[in-house]
Amino acid sequence: MLEQLLNSILKADFLFAVLRITAPILFATLGAVVAEKAGVVNIGLEGTMMITALFGFLIAYWTQSWILGVLGAVLVGALLGLMMGFFALKLKTDIILAGIAVNMLGAGGTIFLLNMFTGLRGNTGNLVSPNILIPTISIPLINKIPILGEILSGHAILTYLAFLFVWLMWVLLYKTPVGLNIRAVGENADAASSVGVSVLKVKYIAIALSGAMAGFGGAFMSMYYSQGWNSGMVAGRGFIALAAQAMGRGEPVGSMLSSLLFGMAQALRTKVSGLQGVSSYLVAMIPYLVTVIGLVLYSIGQTRKMRKHSIRPVL
Amino acid sequence: MKKLLAFLLVALMIFTVAACDKKPTTDPTDPAPSGSDEVPGGKVYKVINLVNGNLGDKSFFDSAEAGLAKLKADGRIEYETKEMGATDADQPKWQQTINDVASEGTYDLIICGTYQMPDYLKEAATAYPDQKFLIYDDTTYVGENSNVINLSYRQNDMGYLIGVFAAAMTSQTSVDNINPEKVVGFIGGIDSPVINDFLYGFLEGAKATDSEVKVDTRYVNSYADTATAKEMGLAMINDNKADIIWGVAGLSGNGGAEAALETGKAWFIGVDSDQELTMSTELAAITLTSGLKNIGDSLIWIFDEWDAGRTYWGKEVNLGLVEGGVGIVTDKNFAKYAPQEVQDLVAAAEKAVREGTIKVPSAIGDETSGVIALRDQMQP
Repeated sequence: MLEQLLNSILKADFLFAVLRITAPILFATLGAVVAEKAGVVNIGLEGTMMITALFGFLIAYWTQSWILGVLGAVLVGALLGLMMGFFALKLKTDIILAGIAVNMLGAGGTIFLLNMFTGLRGNTGNLVSPNILIPTISIPLINKIPILGEILSGHAILTYLAFLFVWLMWVLLYKTPVGLNIRAVGENADAASSVGVSVLKVKYIAIALSGAMAGFGGAFMSMYYSQGWNSGMVAGRGFIALAAQAMGRGEPVGSMLSSLLFGMAQALRTKVSGLQGVSSYLVAMIPYLVTVIGLVLYSIGQTRKMRKHSIRPVL
Repeated sequence: MKKLLAFLLVALMIFTVAACDKKPTTDPTDPAPSGSDEVPGGKVYKVINLVNGNLGDKSFFDSAEAGLAKLKADGRIEYETKEMGATDADQPKWQQTINDVASEGTYDLIICGTYQMPDYLKEAATAYPDQKFLIYDDTTYVGENSNVINLSYRQNDMGYLIGVFAAAMTSQTSVDNINPEKVVGFIGGIDSPVINDFLYGFLEGAKATDSEVKVDTRYVNSYADTATAKEMGLAMINDNKADIIWGVAGLSGNGGAEAALETGKAWFIGVDSDQELTMSTELAAITLTSGLKNIGDSLIWIFDEWDAGRTYWGKEVNLGLVEGGVGIVTDKNFAKYAPQEVQDLVAAAEKAVREGTIKVPSAIGDETSGVIALRDQMQP
């Protein structure tokens, strides 16, 4: 049995699957990172992904262009972010409540919207055609390398974009004035305000960016991962992103690593589920088990570090 | 001003509550369904079909409609169909509609269906005990109202046919995308008795047809997570060389079809309704057949029984192959790709189950967990 598992894991397609599973989580995680950096908690990522997945697909279908679909999803995501910002920052609702509202809209409202626009129920069924799906690309040169080429080449364009965004997000946060403002507002809004930074504006920017990231994730879900939209299709990935953000200490690179961990756990689950005599209930637990173990290891590391720091002054 | 408004609101609320309350208490005496005293058999029934959605779903609703249309064409019923809509805005009106229709008392039978209706139906059936109801594909309140028939479908019978077909197909290497490995896949929604009932039949059918066939069974643990279902399908195809995948996982089942399409190395089989009609052209092209729940035929069967003086009020009627409740799609891709010997095998299996020479075991209420043992035994 172990041999069978190893045979299915020690293959290029396992790591390929890890990257593919990670991509949508990574988009949403980056969304969580940028919002958190500005001191805004965006728990509406799940709903934002559901809604943008639907609109991305519908726009792609109406225009018969996947690029416009993706851009549409990103725009809708940013607008949803701004809407949450409007309720939370302008009308002073609790941001958590605004996030829950978006999640509920994502769960129920999408079914209504789909029915309103297309008359279909539950899923987009036969509206799909290959030209409105995000294409995969095979990277020249790299695809010639044995194993590595199989892992890295042939992904959807958005998969590469997800990992590129990790770097872009780092640049944005640490190398640009906007990033500095975002971090300043997140650390101490009053201090930032006292030196003339418009806290409101910065928070709006951050949450719109957060929504836009979730928009990429949504488009990935309905226009590549699953061919078309169906209700409930995001299936908790937006919430996993929040955990990944926390586990990655809110840093782009750290969050990418924790997203990859979740991706790997999910891929592992798929493989283990094919083994003889393994309970499907236990298998379904793997991603959550990995989360718990990851968090325990992380907090052990944190405590050790803290202890070191606290001992030093005494000595 | 505020006080006045508050008073008005309170008054309005009391009025509404009173208005709502009144209905069920006054009306039950009302319905004396015309003709319910008549002797059944040979009479023309008056039927209303409440659709909790819209026609044109190419699935249950259309199937029910087709069955009723046939009954009407044969002069056996008069019927009308009411499309209640399926949006969140429509749902609150379902209760009102079913109550209204029941209170009219002019119908011999009110038909509704799917898992969304039992709560509404129960309220109406309790308030109007003299009205007869039928609900298809749901068994939530079996026996609680003596005026309701619950129609359910023997998914194990359906699974058996699909199992026979898949096992016979997987060794037809002359067909595109069929590899020499005798492995087929089953993507289930949740490891639960209902899904395992499909699986039990599937495994038995596959085993009976070719004892060397392995079945890769995986559960998505969700009926909506298409992406995870796709990952499972890809793993079946890449790791175990499965070349036919049956998706029995609600919306996420389509993930199996997407995996088959993406790899270009496998075929898909649909479930419940003819999925070749509802999926995109590309996905439909790689769908060999679908396991069917024949809502329309099951309604015809019920009227046959009614005419013969056999009624099932207050009971669950579990319809299998014999009653035409379940079946397998045998036109389109099935006719196009399946070699004659495979088609003959499926027809023979259907005949054997119909005649009772083969009894397909069920996973529902099975204490011995036979399906679990068989599943593990057949896992590649």
